[in-house]
Amino acid sequence: MIRAFRAEMAGIFRDRQVLMIVVLALAIYGLIYPAPYRPELLRVVPVVAVDLDGGESARDLLRRIDASESVTLTARLTDMAAAERAVQSRDAYGIVLIPQGFERDLLSGRPSPIAVYGDASYFLVYQKVLSGMAIPVRQMGATIAAGRLMAGQQLDAETATALASPAQLVEVPLFNPSGGYATYVLPAAFVLILHQTMAMGLALVAVRRRPSPAPVARQLAGRVLAWLVIYAALLPLFLVALPRAYGLPWLGDLRLLAALGLPFVLATGLMAQLIAALLKRTEVIQPVLLAMGLPLFFLSGFSWPIEAIPPALQAIAAAIPAVPMIDAYTRLASMGATGPELATAIRHLWILAALFGLGAALAARSARPSQG
Amino acid sequence: MRGIAHVARRELSLIAGHPALIWLTLILPLLLLAVLAAVFLRGIPTDLPFAVVDLDRTETSRSLSRMLEATPELTTHPALSLSEASDDIRAGRARGAVLIAQGFERDLLDRRRPEIVLFYDNQHMTAGAIAARGARGAINSFIGGAQMGMLRGQGMDTTGVAALVQPVPMQIHPLFNPAFSYIDFLLSAVVPAVVQIMAAAAVTYALALDFARPATGGAPPMLALSRQAGGVLPAMLGKLIPYTLIFLVVIGLADLVLFGVLEVPLRGSVALLLIGAVLFVIAAALIGGLAYLLMRDFGLAISGVAMMLAPAFGYMGIGFPREAMPALARWWSDLLPGTWYLQLRIDQTLRATPRDLSLTPLLALLAITAGLAVLVLVRLALMQRRALDGGAP
Repeated sequence: MIRAFRAEMAGIFRDRQVLMIVVLALAIYGLIYPAPYRPELLRVVPVVAVDLDGGESARDLLRRIDASESVTLTARLTDMAAAERAVQSRDAYGIVLIPQGFERDLLSGRPSPIAVYGDASYFLVYQKVLSGMAIPVRQMGATIAAGRLMAGQQLDAETATALASPAQLVEVPLFNPSGGYATYVLPAAFVLILHQTMAMGLALVAVRRRPSPAPVARQLAGRVLAWLVIYAALLPLFLVALPRAYGLPWLGDLRLLAALGLPFVLATGLMAQLIAALLKRTEVIQPVLLAMGLPLFFLSGFSWPIEAIPPALQAIAAAIPAVPMIDAYTRLASMGATGPELATAIRHLWILAALFGLGAALAARSARPSQG
Repeated sequence: MRGIAHVARRELSLIAGHPALIWLTLILPLLLLAVLAAVFLRGIPTDLPFAVVDLDRTETSRSLSRMLEATPELTTHPALSLSEASDDIRAGRARGAVLIAQGFERDLLDRRRPEIVLFYDNQHMTAGAIAARGARGAINSFIGGAQMGMLRGQGMDTTGVAALVQPVPMQIHPLFNPAFSYIDFLLSAVVPAVVQIMAAAAVTYALALDFARPATGGAPPMLALSRQAGGVLPAMLGKLIPYTLIFLVVIGLADLVLFGVLEVPLRGSVALLLIGAVLFVIAAALIGGLAYLLMRDFGLAISGVAMMLAPAFGYMGIGFPREAMPALARWWSDLLPGTWYLQLRIDQTLRATPRDLSLTPLLALLAITAGLAVLVLVRLALMQRRALDGGAP
């Protein structure tokens, strides 16, 4: 067992390529993946206005929109063609069009519509454009409606306000209140990077390993020990220290991370043994695992809701340790999930570890050189 | 020319006799694209789990609950308290929750403008936003109904009410995506993401086969190939052209399914798309080629390709506009061919962008391809000179 432990350590640290994957790639990915989202920009989305009315009320509405939390008016244009081009060229992500006669209709008590065009190519941006426009428009509408009720129905201000908007909708976004894209993507990305580099590195070690006549169970135990020693350092570094360095929330309990991390490392390492036994060649292992990254990203259900993924694909995805780990880690780190809420994921990872362990043992037994 | 054709023919028979190469170039990319398409095939998620905390338990609060239940985006279940609902959200049993406080009906009738509080999971932004949108719609129509009733009770007729309820109606036009489905965008984006990394990996592998010294000893086959082709350059071209064609076929097959079967709209110029695809595949292949020529070792080269291209999807600006990225990330994304090909694809299919605006991604692709080609040529020339200096055959 000690020999297997030493051999695995040497396989990782003496092989330039494996070391590059397990340690260097981990560090580089830790820098490259988060970079696009670093400043959590786009809190304020640029929009343009086409004001064909030019009256006082139109200017008031545009002031309110500009002051809203999620959008900012970057230009006032004179025609729709120019505004559409600004959106086509991605200089702006929304247009508010105030038609001619806006003020006149408002004064005469008729409904006075405006039009909002949002760039719906970007889901989150579109949401911001709509809420940035809708809230000021609704507020302005409620003020006008209350004023009309007071004038027309001779109501007191309080009753008029209640009739203009009888109940209030209060929205509370939980766990990522500012809607930051980094907070949304990075927890999953960190787990995925750890999983991919570990699977790739350990599978390469396994392929390059010379068969040993020692009993299979002892060999596996020695290797597992080596992974645990290495990842006892790398996993907290990557899943606790790095997110903190990027200013991501950490609401989790470290003991729960250990409870998730232990079966995750076992399952991933043992899966790597099985991949090595199946694919057999280094030139094939790396491209195949490389190609798996993007599908895993979408199958893990953090970006594309798991409810919308076909059940057959969900079942296949459940066999990959990164999938339950991404969900559980995100809930632990960003949402403060507790033990009972993570119990299913912990059990899931242990089952995967057991199954991959069994598979790895069988594969190792058939590959073992016969003694004597 | 004949030299190039000779090497290209040899490469094709090499691929045909090499299962790993067939897997890398054809089967794996198509399989990945099929899996990714299958992920999105069920369309926009509906029936997301949602908790309703009704502490009022009156006819009014129940009618709001019924409206939430009738929302296609949601499947609601009752929760006894706010803490139960928040546990549900943390554990993934709910994507959001609505709290109707005690005394809601009374406050509504007394015109005290009670609050309806909508909570949603903003960590899982897509699911949370879809659930919130459904709930918001139901709550707003509930409030609208209540208001109608109250105004009628005030003795107003229905026509007068309309201008009162919504003095400034907002007409909403989602541009480029009227069905409000991100599936078309994602489907369109996975093609460049998958092809970029697979083309680079395949070319790295193909070069490794001919540049490495065979296990049996002797000179690497590339030397003999160069002699037969009449130089390193024609030999390289002969090796790269088959991969370029194969990956163009992969893109073509994927797009046939995308635009033909899945009916992703194609509102743009097919000619621009085709030119873009050719430049993009050449650039991706050259990245793989350059990586191998620089490292001269398959393992190191493929790791280099991985580090450069595995995170590329995040830099392509799908879901998160490139314009909003920090400068350094934007420069890096500018250097990746997939970024520009994706922009061209989205612009010339879904966004119906005017052609002159699509010149930018085309010129960028051209510049990247030319730059990579120069680097590969310089590297080859250096290698050749070193081989001559070293007296190698």
